[in-house]
Amino acid sequence: MPSTRGIEKAPAGTFETIVGKRSLPYIFLGPALALILFLLVAPVVQGVFMSFLATRGNGAVDWVGLDNYRILFRESRFASNLRSSLFYLAGNLVLSAPLAYAAAALITGKHRQAEYFRGIFLLPWITAPIVSTLLFRALVDPQIGPLGILISRLSGRQVLILGHPVWALVFVTVHSFWRSFPFVMLFLSAGMSMIPREVYESAMVDGAGRWKRFTRLTLPLTSNQLAIALLQITVWTLYDAETIYAFTNGGPGYATETLAVRLFKSAFINFDLNTSAVIGIILISLSIVFMAVYMRLVGSGGGDAQ
Amino acid sequence: MSLKKALCVLAGLLLVSGFVFASGGSESSSGPKVLHVAHFYDPMNASMKVNSDWFNGIAAQFEKANPGVKVQWDVYQWDQIDVKSMSDFRSGIKAHDVFLSSPQLSAQHAQVGDLADLAPTIASQWSKDELAQFSWSAAWKGGIVGNKQYGIALGNHTRVLVYNKDLFKAAGLDPERPPQTLDELVDYAKKLTTGDVYGLGMYFGPSRATIELYYSPFLWGAGTDTWDPVTKKAIFANATGVKAANFFKDLVNTWKVTPVADEAGTYDDAILNAFVNGKVAMAWGYGSYWIPALEQHGMVKGAFPPTADATEINAGVALLPGCPTFVNSWDVSIYSLSQNKELAWKFINLMLQPENLRGYGDAGLPIRASEWNGPGMQTPFYKLWKQSIATGHPMPSTAHYGELADTVAAALQSILVSNQDPQATLQKAQDDWNAKYAGN
Repeated sequence: MPSTRGIEKAPAGTFETIVGKRSLPYIFLGPALALILFLLVAPVVQGVFMSFLATRGNGAVDWVGLDNYRILFRESRFASNLRSSLFYLAGNLVLSAPLAYAAAALITGKHRQAEYFRGIFLLPWITAPIVSTLLFRALVDPQIGPLGILISRLSGRQVLILGHPVWALVFVTVHSFWRSFPFVMLFLSAGMSMIPREVYESAMVDGAGRWKRFTRLTLPLTSNQLAIALLQITVWTLYDAETIYAFTNGGPGYATETLAVRLFKSAFINFDLNTSAVIGIILISLSIVFMAVYMRLVGSGGGDAQ
Repeated sequence: MSLKKALCVLAGLLLVSGFVFASGGSESSSGPKVLHVAHFYDPMNASMKVNSDWFNGIAAQFEKANPGVKVQWDVYQWDQIDVKSMSDFRSGIKAHDVFLSSPQLSAQHAQVGDLADLAPTIASQWSKDELAQFSWSAAWKGGIVGNKQYGIALGNHTRVLVYNKDLFKAAGLDPERPPQTLDELVDYAKKLTTGDVYGLGMYFGPSRATIELYYSPFLWGAGTDTWDPVTKKAIFANATGVKAANFFKDLVNTWKVTPVADEAGTYDDAILNAFVNGKVAMAWGYGSYWIPALEQHGMVKGAFPPTADATEINAGVALLPGCPTFVNSWDVSIYSLSQNKELAWKFINLMLQPENLRGYGDAGLPIRASEWNGPGMQTPFYKLWKQSIATGHPMPSTAHYGELADTVAAALQSILVSNQDPQATLQKAQDDWNAKYAGN
């Protein structure tokens, strides 16, 4: 019967003995790492490189260092783009989280209607963005849209929601929230259904009310799910150009032109790839910042009920 | 399925695809010569069928006259065809010969170098009379950058002021005397604004139409422009530009003769639909592409298709003095990397024959001067459209026209919607644009 030691030791002449035991994992991981580097890191490096260039119409390329960044940061338009992006993102997150918790509580509850609510709440998620954009547009049409007509009747004057710099931004944010909250809800409901019933029963025996049970139990025990869902929503919202473009083209003025819309216009309409690269780098940097915040949230006390 | 079988199937597929690839490659060397023509009329799209059929007809004629040559279509989206040509050129792709192009982007094409200069060919092959057939139109000038010709206009798209004669009568205005000055335009618009009807429809939405329909014409009328071809700088924040912005702002906010709704929505809604449905008494920026709609709504009779008996039932057309209109077209160009330039030129010449151009639905109003001699074009209605084309303007030939138009449109919207100071807003927008694009 061979000894255990004998099994662990590779026979002479095998691949392992040729390359050495320490190098073996690196050799196996090598192709995958190379692929990841090529597919994920290379485009980012290329983007960073492009952001330092100025491409002339005739294809001539000049190294301009940080000039593209400098020009962009001095623009009032860029400041407006950044403001709109942050508003769009913050509005989305602020609306999504509380409502998603409420909806998740509703669909994980032990009642008959839970199934119906699940279907209703998932409807925005399964609607194609361009379809929901058209539906929402029709809603605020000043001539035929029920919301547009209602607001005009209440205010006594014609109100153009998509023609007003503030209302247009609020409206596209609400649409974005409407689309994204089912996703957060699904994540949270998955987290909530994993919390043992006994935990809540003990808390109730200790006299904890609904609010306390939510803040001391549900919230901490689902913080991992919340962080992951919010990270996903953050990335989607930051990079969302199609719905805003379909709503307003970024107007009126630059009121709803977020960084993603600007990037889209710059890259695919005006073919200015260098400015687009700068905006892309800024968007990636913003995503990394948010990712770090969420990861910290997950790391610190996530999943510990107090 | 065993591994052996799967490998056999895979090998078979590879062989078949290799054969297909090889036979495809040999088509150009041993088969008929292929002329690649890029347009944007999808034959599967019912609304584009007329134009797609027209191209098929031209191809049939061409193939008959040139045995051994086959015309092949490369179909792209209309708003991507120019970019496609430029990006293909940058990638060194030699697959195209003839391209439909947009004259607003001629300067960008010139900078990229993807379109061939047609000026020498035109100079050597066209008579003076033939040249005069085209060069009278402002649309022709849109294809010229410096002394090079990158595109030949296939028709004319222009815009005028249309007005509702019935509403003129109701307001006590002479229906045969449209406004003669901008002051008169405002005066008329005030008189015509009653109840649900606005005096003057204009489009101030978030699109390039704003600069093309109103802002640039206003500047052209004063002898200036949005961009200076000498310094290659944006100059749209000049005194006339500020005056124009203030004028538009007053129309909407002070005199309230132009609907606020024109700041959002679409060009079609603000001008075409509003006018034919009687929501606006006058519409500034009404395009020649909407003449059929006037006929369909009974506002003119016998004007589409044009007849000698055309009558303006209750729609009149006018030009605003001091505001030359923007004229453009679809141009036809030759791709600079084309290996078949002679054939491409032959194909273009065939397209431009009077009997062929007549059938091109998307041409708009005729480009050939001789077509305007027909009895249907002698009516006052069409004479005015012709005048608009002859006295019109193409857009400035900056390689960054798109960014220029977007910048002005956004600045105007900020002025109109957010009530921002016109001088400061335009100046800031101009500085931003110049910081990025001045000099090239």
